[in-house]
Amino acid sequence: MTRDEIKDVILEIIQDIDEDSEIENLDADKPLRDQLDLDSMDFLDIVMELRKRYQLQIPEADYPELASLTSCVNYLEPRLKEV
Amino acid sequence: MGSYDQVIIGGGLSGLAAGIRLARFGYKVLILEKHAIPGGLNSYYFRQGRLLETGLHAMTNFAPPESKAAPLNRLFRQLKLSRKKFSTHQQLRSTIYFSDNYSLSFSNDLGLLSSEVERVFPESIDRFTALVELVRSHDPFVNRPWISAKDRLRDLLDNERLMNMLLWPLMMYGNCNEHDMDFDQFVIMFQSVYLEGFFRPAGTIKDFLEMLLDHYRSLGGEIRFRAPVKHFRIRDEQVDTVVLESGEEIGCGQVISTAGYPATLQFMTSNQHPVEADKYSGRMSFVEIINVLPVACRKTLRSDETIIFYNLDEPFDYRRPDQAVNVNCGVICFPENFHDLEVGSEFQLRVTHPANYDIWKSFGPDEYAEQKKLWTVRSSAVVGEIIGNYRQKVVYQDVFTPITIEKFTGKANGAIYGSPIKLKDGTTSIANLFVAGTDQGYLGIVGAMLSGVTMVNNHIFEQN
Repeated sequence: MTRDEIKDVILEIIQDIDEDSEIENLDADKPLRDQLDLDSMDFLDIVMELRKRYQLQIPEADYPELASLTSCVNYLEPRLKEV
Repeated sequence: MGSYDQVIIGGGLSGLAAGIRLARFGYKVLILEKHAIPGGLNSYYFRQGRLLETGLHAMTNFAPPESKAAPLNRLFRQLKLSRKKFSTHQQLRSTIYFSDNYSLSFSNDLGLLSSEVERVFPESIDRFTALVELVRSHDPFVNRPWISAKDRLRDLLDNERLMNMLLWPLMMYGNCNEHDMDFDQFVIMFQSVYLEGFFRPAGTIKDFLEMLLDHYRSLGGEIRFRAPVKHFRIRDEQVDTVVLESGEEIGCGQVISTAGYPATLQFMTSNQHPVEADKYSGRMSFVEIINVLPVACRKTLRSDETIIFYNLDEPFDYRRPDQAVNVNCGVICFPENFHDLEVGSEFQLRVTHPANYDIWKSFGPDEYAEQKKLWTVRSSAVVGEIIGNYRQKVVYQDVFTPITIEKFTGKANGAIYGSPIKLKDGTTSIANLFVAGTDQGYLGIVGAMLSGVTMVNNHIFEQN
């Protein structure tokens, strides 16, 4: 997947978790949690959805890598290269 | 022999929530329910063409859809259910009644309770306000040892009667301990009842359960009714197989039991250590009387509140009574008294009192039936003093005792709020066995469901 495709997947997952989330105005470099009212339970859903869709295991120690949209893409790019 | 990633024991609200959560992310999951219908404590039955609900007086934790961080809305997101399509009816108002002079009303607007505290206990309003601030900022989900809520509240409120009045509804709606409650539990309950408040879903508990069940099945989850568990087969310190009463064997990767810790221990040990199970059985159980009344007699009764929590005992004490039932305290609930519910030709009056399991258990069949009648009459005499006499007008009546509760919910000793010894993190001595539901300290319907969700998140998703 390209960086743009990965970004779209993340946004789609977020929209799926909370239909009211305002993804249009997201600052890609700022923490998602602050901008979207996500709590740790919602955050787990992003991890679970990636696991379900791409059989990608993200260890808990790596969760901080998913903080912002940009850091998500950076983290996932090598891992979803073949998808 | 079928085999599943997870087997969930119990199709009550915590089991259904855990099942939905697992099925949503593609796990192969099976719920085993021993009865013919789901719901566990919060279920329903039919008598003379009427649908009667068990358990549910009201749901706690009311929050409008836009309060994203509220437990109710977090729960809906976790289960991938639309909160906007879930139509709710808020309570009218409820009252804590100790006497005509000591009576406090509350609603889903904290302002009412605050003004009532100021009216009845003007000397304590500042301390009450400080307590509310403390409850708002206190995180009750940190794992702490048991702290006496009464000790903390004596210190914070310095008003024994106000303390007891505030404690009473919270204890009746979810305290497994006698006399006192854990302070964290108090905070959870205070938030759920006084800060968020009572509501009920549109429709019946049957509709609510069917909505959950349809959702679970649409995600690929399986459920089997009339499938009581006999025991677990344990190999290499893991539950390897769940054996049903029918003898059927079901292979499992992990097990979540919502049957309560005493029952779960018995599945583990095949009755070898009943003493150990006894240690985890709670002592607080209840009698509930469901009265159906013609709508015409509403105007002759005090019937404009949703719930009245009354206590006439002095001193107040939340405990297992020495008699079969203590009718001097209880909960009077009008399940139709929520905003914007349609009025039918009949209405219900449900009355709940603390009861003594051992005494009910000791009765033979004839005496049991006699005692039900006797205590129903005594109950209506005391409740009639508060809301007006209704006994002659009852068109249908049914009574649950601690024995009924034990039979239909599997809760040892009919202790609906479970064991005083809470397994907060849900782990057991067996690595792939977890418990969820009332024996974990979560309370009410929203709490039970969040418990199922949290156990799946913490022990299955985070570990796999």
